[in-house]
Amino acid sequence: MRTLGRAVGALVVALFAVVGLAGPALAHNQLVSSNPADKASLETGPGTIELTFDQPVQAGENLNTLVVVGPAGKDQWQAGKAAVRGNVVSAPLRPLGPAGEYRVGYRILSADGHPVTGEIKFTLTKAGNGTPAPAEEVAQDTGTPAASTPDDGGVPVWVWIGGAVLLLGAGIVLAMRLGGSTP
Amino acid sequence: MSQTRTTATARPHLVAVLVACSVVGVLIGLTIVATEPVPGLPEPGAVVRVGLPVVRVLLDMSAVITVGLCLLPLVIGFDRPKLAEPVLAVARRVAMVAALVWATAALVALVLQTAELKPGQNVSAAAVLEYVDTVGAGKALLFVAIFALISFALSLWSVRVGELVPAELRAAVAMFALLPLPVTGHATNWRWHDFTMISMELHVLSAAAWTGGLGAVVVLLSANRTLLALALPRFSRLATICLLVVTATGVFNGAVELLVNPTHSLWTALFTTSYGVLLVLKTACLIGLAALGATIRWRLMPAIAAHQRTALLGWATMELGIMGLAFGFAVILSRAPVS
Repeated sequence: MRTLGRAVGALVVALFAVVGLAGPALAHNQLVSSNPADKASLETGPGTIELTFDQPVQAGENLNTLVVVGPAGKDQWQAGKAAVRGNVVSAPLRPLGPAGEYRVGYRILSADGHPVTGEIKFTLTKAGNGTPAPAEEVAQDTGTPAASTPDDGGVPVWVWIGGAVLLLGAGIVLAMRLGGSTP
Repeated sequence: MSQTRTTATARPHLVAVLVACSVVGVLIGLTIVATEPVPGLPEPGAVVRVGLPVVRVLLDMSAVITVGLCLLPLVIGFDRPKLAEPVLAVARRVAMVAALVWATAALVALVLQTAELKPGQNVSAAAVLEYVDTVGAGKALLFVAIFALISFALSLWSVRVGELVPAELRAAVAMFALLPLPVTGHATNWRWHDFTMISMELHVLSAAAWTGGLGAVVVLLSANRTLLALALPRFSRLATICLLVVTATGVFNGAVELLVNPTHSLWTALFTTSYGVLLVLKTACLIGLAALGATIRWRLMPAIAAHQRTALLGWATMELGIMGLAFGFAVILSRAPVS
């Protein structure tokens, strides 16, 4: 009886092993190059910002964000959402305005599921005549709450955590009951 | 009855030391990898930024405790069933609770990782499902939760019927539930992919067996000199193997991760990047653990084998504390980029 149990157990475990281990493991993405390059000086702003990573970036709705912050610190200059093509994340850029340092911030989703954040900078040497993106467009590009779907029935994280703790407590009490009296 | 009581309440503070040190390790790691927020990008809230690694380390801790307690019957052996039964009864009960905590922590981590992806938004059940659907790490956490629940069910069954449930099966299921997370962890890379993955799995398995085994043996057996004399030499052999495997796989994975990163050379990466600094800290932990393990093995074990009173508790508490720190660093390390 006992041997049988062990044999069945081993079989079940082996089965799960086959199922569970399928699927690729991937690494954290790292920025390898960009256009414009980090710390570059430009006379006119580029039409698009391109960031190249060492591995494919996970594509998906609102998973990847690219923002360009101007010299004033609050003004944003990207002209749309970030698009993913293999290893490259790109976003269109508005015609730039005042000369000075522009900071390109990105948060992308590695193929392994970890968000990777970073930034590059470039300097505009000649002022252009562009204007920063209006606030509602910025909210759309960065997926901030103001622009996201009005209410998808979500609750704050702490509610989930509280619920989980309650559920755990109830589970432990129930399990203790099911387990019988204390030995 | 009364004997069970005394063993049950014997040394629970050791577990507290282990868990507290792991959380401290996470907090130290967080300060090491802390970066300035990038202007313009929405940041995840503090609940997510600090909560996620803390939940992940609690997940690891409950996993380690479950694995250790499921291994305990194998370490004690089946020569003294009468003597071992009261201790094992406690072990089964605690393993049941630990497995339930494990499953819950996996689900909470899943919610927090969903929240991390979309900063500033509430989390809906649909968003969590979408996360599981699109991101490998989500699937892995779901697998972990399911296997932890299977482990819980086995423990519950064994609480009812005793050691009729094969100890090997319980240990195997618990150890198997450790496997999905490293598969989606980042410490693997294209070129070395297969080797680093196997190596990382071995690293996690032996670290869990080592820490959990030590915790279970010391917490539950230190009050019982006969069982301790029986179990500690067996555990010591297991621990030696675990130490060797953890060292070899850890060095290999750390070196690969540092070598393949496109921007730094090995030595600058080791001492200037937060990833490298965490790696150095973990190496220091390992050296400390080896020294403490050697002390227990060569200075205390002969006396323990002769059923004498020793200072095992003090040394083992220190060892568990360092192990906790290492687990805390590991959680941060597995999420840190080489930069």
